[in-house]
Amino acid sequence: MNKVAIVGTGQTKFSKDDGDIEKLLFESANNCIQSTKNCVPNDIDGVLVSTNDNSKYMGAILSEMMGIQPRISHSIEHLCSSGTNAIISAYSYISSGLSDVVLVSGVESATNPGQVLEWDKSRGNFEHPIYWASMLTKSHKRKFHTTEEELAIVSAKNYKHAMDNPSAYSNEPRTISEVMNSKQITDDLRILDCSRSCSGSSSIILASEEKAKKITEQPIWITGIGQKTTSASFTKNILEEIKSTRIAADAAYKMANIEAKQIDVAEVHDAFSVCELMAISELRITSNEKSGEFVRNLFNTENRMINPRGGLIGAGHPLGATGISQTIEISNQLQGKSEKRQIPNTRTGLIHNMSAAGTSSSVMVLKN
Amino acid sequence: MTFFEDQLEQGIFQIGYCKNCNNTIWPPKEICQMCHGEINWKESMNVGKIVEFSKKDSMYFGLIEIDDKIRILGNISCSSEPKIGQSVKMKVSFHNKPHYSFIVENN
Repeated sequence: MNKVAIVGTGQTKFSKDDGDIEKLLFESANNCIQSTKNCVPNDIDGVLVSTNDNSKYMGAILSEMMGIQPRISHSIEHLCSSGTNAIISAYSYISSGLSDVVLVSGVESATNPGQVLEWDKSRGNFEHPIYWASMLTKSHKRKFHTTEEELAIVSAKNYKHAMDNPSAYSNEPRTISEVMNSKQITDDLRILDCSRSCSGSSSIILASEEKAKKITEQPIWITGIGQKTTSASFTKNILEEIKSTRIAADAAYKMANIEAKQIDVAEVHDAFSVCELMAISELRITSNEKSGEFVRNLFNTENRMINPRGGLIGAGHPLGATGISQTIEISNQLQGKSEKRQIPNTRTGLIHNMSAAGTSSSVMVLKN
Repeated sequence: MTFFEDQLEQGIFQIGYCKNCNNTIWPPKEICQMCHGEINWKESMNVGKIVEFSKKDSMYFGLIEIDDKIRILGNISCSSEPKIGQSVKMKVSFHNKPHYSFIVENN
């Protein structure tokens, strides 16, 4: 298999207002190509678009908008983890030799159809994600004695990180007390425990080793990939676990030949505050019992190791763009280009992106 | 409408079992996800137990386990706070989407 590197990135600002899919896509893809030294549209032979939007033929449309006539172009949808699925598809095209340089662009409008999975009849009329998130939160509190303050710290931390992220939908600080006193959605969820569906777009260029070395002096290598889908329906989950994440993480660590303790920085899928606590446990960064204490310690010591761009809670959640935005953050961190958000001396980073209550997870390991 | 939805509209919760391997099919599908065999339908006993619950506004909702470990999200009717493991009776209907209601017995 050929090695695959990230060689360019570009984003739009995320916003809670509705956005025009095509304009957003063009903006992030254009930012990406313009900022990628030694790469012109003619070098790109694959264009993948990640979105939950119902628009048709977006891979070809983006190609035409950018003046690219690629070998491969199509769209990819996998609910909230569409972005990493698109990146991993691009990786596969390049590592197999079917493609050399692939542009992956994710996009969403704030009112998108990807928030509800109608197929899952086991949710009845409780289709919205707040209901499964309430079940996970209540169960985590019950089993691991997680406190409301520990859950609020996840959000306060991620909002704080997002203040230094110019692409984030929110640059407002939120104190622990503000989170704990924010609007009650259910007995177990406050509005500031929830990520917000946003408009926005993120783009990334991946290249083979040969091309990467011509395009950039700082390629970031994708060294580990793990994916797992355990079901589509939420009610097959064990409430205290995200089994798909555990399996995907172990596969990614094995492929990258690393252990969890070697991770310097991670973007994890905090769709709701409890998801961050569960994710860092399933990723073996800490344990479920200690996850609240772990995040409290990060917050108190201003350690940005988990979700330095603000996660989904702080940065916003444009579904098709989220996994790509997470990957851009880790790539920038490993290049030392994260400005105010920069964590010193990072060598190894991780991306965790999941769908539909964790029924499907993707984990990637990056190295500089 | 599917057979499952049509039956829900009549207040009947039908559970699919594989004719071939007797696997329980949930959520409802037209074929068995294990062996791709055909489905036999059987009416549920309409009783279950509370696995987890929460509350939105004044309404309790939660995850309920009914026959053959089938788990469902629905609203919970009760006169005081529900308890994990409590027995419930199920009532179903269909208005554009499935509606599952669970009534706590001896609350």
